[in-house]
Amino acid sequence: MSEFYLRTESIKQSDILSLSVVNAADRGILDILKSNEPCLLEGSRGTGKSFLMRVAELELEADDNSCVTVFVPFNMSSLISTEDDLQFYHWMMAKTLKYLLNKLRKKGFIVSSLTANLLSNDINNTDDRVDSSLKEIVNLFEDSYKGKTSVNISALPDIEDVKEAIQTICEENNLDRIIFFFDEAAHVFRPEQQRQFFSLFKDLRSPYITCNAAIYPGVTHFGDSFEPIHDCVYKRLERSISDPDYLQYFKDIVFKQSDENLRNDIERQRELFNTLALASGGNPRMLLRTIQDLPRLNASGVNVIMKSFYRSQIWSEHTDLGEKYRGHRAVIDWGRDFLEKSVIPRVEEYNNSRKEKGTDESTIYFWIHKDAPESVKEALRLLTYTGIIRKVDSSVRATRSELGVRYEIKYGCMLSLESNPQAESKEFYKNLSIKKFPEFGKNHIAYAGSEKLLKRDELQYEESLRSLLQRPIDVLVALTPWQKNKLKSVEIKTIENLHNYTEESLIEKIYGVGPARARVMKNAAAAELLEYISG
Amino acid sequence: MDIQDYFTQLNTESQTVFNQSILQKDKLGKLHHLSSCVYEFSGFIHDPQEKIILETVSTQLELSNYNLILGLYRQAFSSLRLALEMGLAAIYFSASKLELHEWLDGRMDIKWSKLIDEDNGVLSKRFSKAFYSDLVDEVESYRSKAIIVYRKLSEYVHGNNETWIDGGIKLVYKEDFFDRYCDFYRIVSETILFSAVCRYAKSFDESERESLQFLPEEFSHISKIRELFGRA
Repeated sequence: MSEFYLRTESIKQSDILSLSVVNAADRGILDILKSNEPCLLEGSRGTGKSFLMRVAELELEADDNSCVTVFVPFNMSSLISTEDDLQFYHWMMAKTLKYLLNKLRKKGFIVSSLTANLLSNDINNTDDRVDSSLKEIVNLFEDSYKGKTSVNISALPDIEDVKEAIQTICEENNLDRIIFFFDEAAHVFRPEQQRQFFSLFKDLRSPYITCNAAIYPGVTHFGDSFEPIHDCVYKRLERSISDPDYLQYFKDIVFKQSDENLRNDIERQRELFNTLALASGGNPRMLLRTIQDLPRLNASGVNVIMKSFYRSQIWSEHTDLGEKYRGHRAVIDWGRDFLEKSVIPRVEEYNNSRKEKGTDESTIYFWIHKDAPESVKEALRLLTYTGIIRKVDSSVRATRSELGVRYEIKYGCMLSLESNPQAESKEFYKNLSIKKFPEFGKNHIAYAGSEKLLKRDELQYEESLRSLLQRPIDVLVALTPWQKNKLKSVEIKTIENLHNYTEESLIEKIYGVGPARARVMKNAAAAELLEYISG
Repeated sequence: MDIQDYFTQLNTESQTVFNQSILQKDKLGKLHHLSSCVYEFSGFIHDPQEKIILETVSTQLELSNYNLILGLYRQAFSSLRLALEMGLAAIYFSASKLELHEWLDGRMDIKWSKLIDEDNGVLSKRFSKAFYSDLVDEVESYRSKAIIVYRKLSEYVHGNNETWIDGGIKLVYKEDFFDRYCDFYRIVSETILFSAVCRYAKSFDESERESLQFLPEEFSHISKIRELFGRA
């Protein structure tokens, strides 16, 4: 079928607006992205974060001469070592300012040193110019992260120097502000880098600068200085399959990239198209991919693609993440098993029993207790990154009024289990109820194995791990002073001591500690170790 | 009117065009950005002779722009064509030292047909296979665009009749010419940059690639270039 653009980066800037489809929810996000308020845009892979940011950028460029937009896509760089915390900050700073300089050059506000080839040296004495100072700042940061100079932090420019340089550029050129769009603040798997990103995000706050960033659902380490609620507008980019305009919206997206034949096929086979659109669970990239891979838009083709993509391909992509981020491999693999072998069969069973009873109800939702083990939560977080599941809401009451998080399994992953998915889709969708969900309590049997993910022999033994394990439990911010004292009273003084205890042995050994507190204590140690493997 | 008055008058008229052209800050910024990219790229070429040729190309591009701003449209187009030839020649010579030295000695001329040759030119599959095999499927589209733009620019060099009719010879600001030039310029500079990426990008180390941040930005739509520069 037609070749589609699956990634925003592959689309030339000049073609973005002609391919864009903007519904009311998107417009709301665009308005915020274009406003003076900093915004974090959360969405799993392929939901269209980059695309929306590009649209915001282009709309601003077309309508507003008083600002300069700067799109900053962070790449992966092997030059960044995880040992030196500040190196990453400096690297981001150098990248960001270089993108700014390039943009200022493109807009005609500054010129490059190429001009020296044409102008006489006397005239070209630009040392006192503000863009020269910004270039100098970039060079210093670049040299520092490339290790060319021994890093003398005190000699490096301060964030205030950067902000001042930007302010001067704005004033000299009658600009109100510079708007940064950080795409793929993608160092999603490294908590320390996440913290540094958000600290840069906050540090860049000034009347002359607005920052916006696209982040993944797995990003949770905002650091001490950044509070998502206070320091930005936090928006989630998701499209619920129950939205009234859902099918029309996705049809419009596909039509923008389709030729006449495909459009006619889709018009003729609306139900088949609807099945694929719903299956993607609000993810344009997945919808475009499944249509692209279809030899023909007919019932058997849709069934084949549904099964191959949502039963196997989407899962192997999740597993591949483990190759890319090796520290997470065990958690990624466990999460897949948990979902494939426990959650999905439970949901399927739930649906089958209702079918047998003749109840018009179906579900793709499940619920996890808020106090589930930390490694289970981490595994689920990674599944939201790939988009196989979506966190619908938290603090949802389930049986016995217990609180937990409700997740949605991608519609396609559930529907593909049917022998004839396209035939079942309409009825299945009609009967969907968000109020129905199998529950996984605090200590569900399906969590078995998750505790081993952080077993010492499973972790690569390194010096840095040793030092982490030897840190005192006082560093665990999740624990109250009372809890820390209780632990110390039984000679549990380091993270390692705590890690070696099971929940049962904590309950047994410490008076006043029951299952709830034992879980909190163990989760605090687990969170530290998870952070270690992430780095 | 003596000869000095005459040229003074021409200069005045040219300055009028200049004053109108200079208002197109955004467009001029884009032109300057692209020649600066070529210039910055040249800074990373290890061989001094190859480096200097590419640097000269970037200056040539800037001078074409200056012709444009003065309203010397025909000269601008002609100069742009020279930049395209020299740009591709720089890349060609980097893989053919013997011819480079013959050219430097003045014993050989740059031949466009050789530079653009389907089988052995700079934008041939053979060339790409040797230096950056992942781009083998991309070269043809750049080659055909280069051929078209070269032909269009040549019309101004050779003075084809239609290039006189719509342009006239008087020094007046012509927005239509200005915009056409910008379109041609974008193709020319992208072709030179693409050829340079094809020839050198694989030989740069990661630190050098990090510094060439404008490349994945300009060629973001080519996934293989994006990936080489660390973007998925």
